[in-house]
Amino acid sequence: MLSVSNLDVRYGQFRAVQGVSMEIAKGDIVSLIGANGAGKSTLLRAIAGALPIHSGRLLFKQQEITNTSSSRRVQQGLSLVPEGRRLFSDMTVEENLLLGSTVKRSGDWNIERIFSTFPNLVKRRHAETGNLSGGEQQATAIGRALMSNPDFLILDEVSLGLSPLVVDQVYDSMESLKDAGTTILLVEQDLERAMRFSKRTICMLEGRVVLDKLTSDTNKEEITQAYFGLHPSSKQEAS
Amino acid sequence: MMNSLVQAILLGGYYALVACGLAFMFQVMRIINLAHGSLAILSAYLVWEITDALALSPFISVLMILPIMAIIGLLLQRVILERATKGGELLPVLTTFGLAIVIDNLLFQQFGANTRSLSPYLGDLSWESYEIFGLWIGKLPVIVLITAIVVIGGLDLVLRFTPLGRQIRATAFDPDTAGLVGIDARKIAAISAAIAMMTVAISGTALGLRGTFDAYAGGPQLLFAFEATIIGGASSLWGVFLGGIILAIAQSIGALIHPQGFLLGGHFMFLIFLFARIYFNRDVFSLKHWFAKRNKGENAA
Repeated sequence: MLSVSNLDVRYGQFRAVQGVSMEIAKGDIVSLIGANGAGKSTLLRAIAGALPIHSGRLLFKQQEITNTSSSRRVQQGLSLVPEGRRLFSDMTVEENLLLGSTVKRSGDWNIERIFSTFPNLVKRRHAETGNLSGGEQQATAIGRALMSNPDFLILDEVSLGLSPLVVDQVYDSMESLKDAGTTILLVEQDLERAMRFSKRTICMLEGRVVLDKLTSDTNKEEITQAYFGLHPSSKQEAS
Repeated sequence: MMNSLVQAILLGGYYALVACGLAFMFQVMRIINLAHGSLAILSAYLVWEITDALALSPFISVLMILPIMAIIGLLLQRVILERATKGGELLPVLTTFGLAIVIDNLLFQQFGANTRSLSPYLGDLSWESYEIFGLWIGKLPVIVLITAIVVIGGLDLVLRFTPLGRQIRATAFDPDTAGLVGIDARKIAAISAAIAMMTVAISGTALGLRGTFDAYAGGPQLLFAFEATIIGGASSLWGVFLGGIILAIAQSIGALIHPQGFLLGGHFMFLIFLFARIYFNRDVFSLKHWFAKRNKGENAA
């Protein structure tokens, strides 16, 4: 569904993502793991079209999207829940959700289904999102992305700043997405949770992919080693 | 005294009408369009040409130039402003400044130095008045004030309650995230510019109806629009409406104090608000702030 080949993203001279390639098939649940500054968010934002791509190619459903605008990509079914939620904080929950349906893609998601998936939002429907709790904001951000009926959902640090209980709620509601066959790529700091949720794990280090395996084929130790750059393959690259 | 207050409020309606387009563009696209006044004069000339050539009422001609100005707005955004904004915040200011000079001089070349007015085409309406409590209130200024209320109210309703308005607000708030949500920021900016230019067309016509204009009359219109926007605060269109009226009242008071104090009074008020906005928390200017304070006081009591 998504094919990333040899992707380079730069901030001026700094290469935040270097030569990253990956293939994500329909129905895949992939978690992207890596230390702060490993280039995870940069990669996700580049895939979503919020950052310009320096070199490399991006294919989505066999179509080249390397240089298309972010709104065009949403139209094609690729949606990002950005890090830090980035809600329109002077608007209500309902308005934020309605904005998500700006691109009129057909699908099962509508505002009522969002409210039944995230019941904690029902009573905040007409509250400004700036006044919500972190969990409610995150639910709104996910709901807003779902309103475009994406085929491919990217979630950047969904559990950041949320209490463990709320994180459980968010993941519970995401199980239903999984069942619906939505392809998901997510960044998660909690390794155990990421491994439990995803079918595949990709680990990034200093802008490169150092590990890309089915979750069932790998273990916590191997991922930890890759995370810190102790993985054999990354040693070779470093030398 | 009462009379000049009423006249000032009516004049304020005109200022609000000129200012709302400037404020709208600033709100949505973060662009201060220095060609605003010149574009108003351009549309006044267009209305004058159509009215003269087709022997129509100016009120009909303005409807005809609304789409023309909307297209000009679209082109302005696509051809000039979009490129200029890529070069930083200062570049659009310089570009529109240059554009203003170009428009002014083209108008001068085309129409010469004669002042023109749309009022001859109005017949009796240009001097007809209502008499209320011994005050004579011109019908035309009242129409302009009502138009200002309708235009600003209409824009406000569109922004608040329509999908387009939501998208405009979202783009103004955070263009990057708006893109990630699927909003085509380029399209929204072009539509916003078109809307702003339609208000410019109306304000240019209002100027022509109320008085006279010439090729270089754009500068003062821009100045009044800018002052009204700063006084009212660029964040709310109703604030700009209030700003226009405050500006006009200040000018009238200035004129009462000294025959030449008309403009000075306005500038003085503008400076007071400018410094107040710099030195105080911007909350001080919102009604919410004062009401919230009062509520807190009550709670404490």
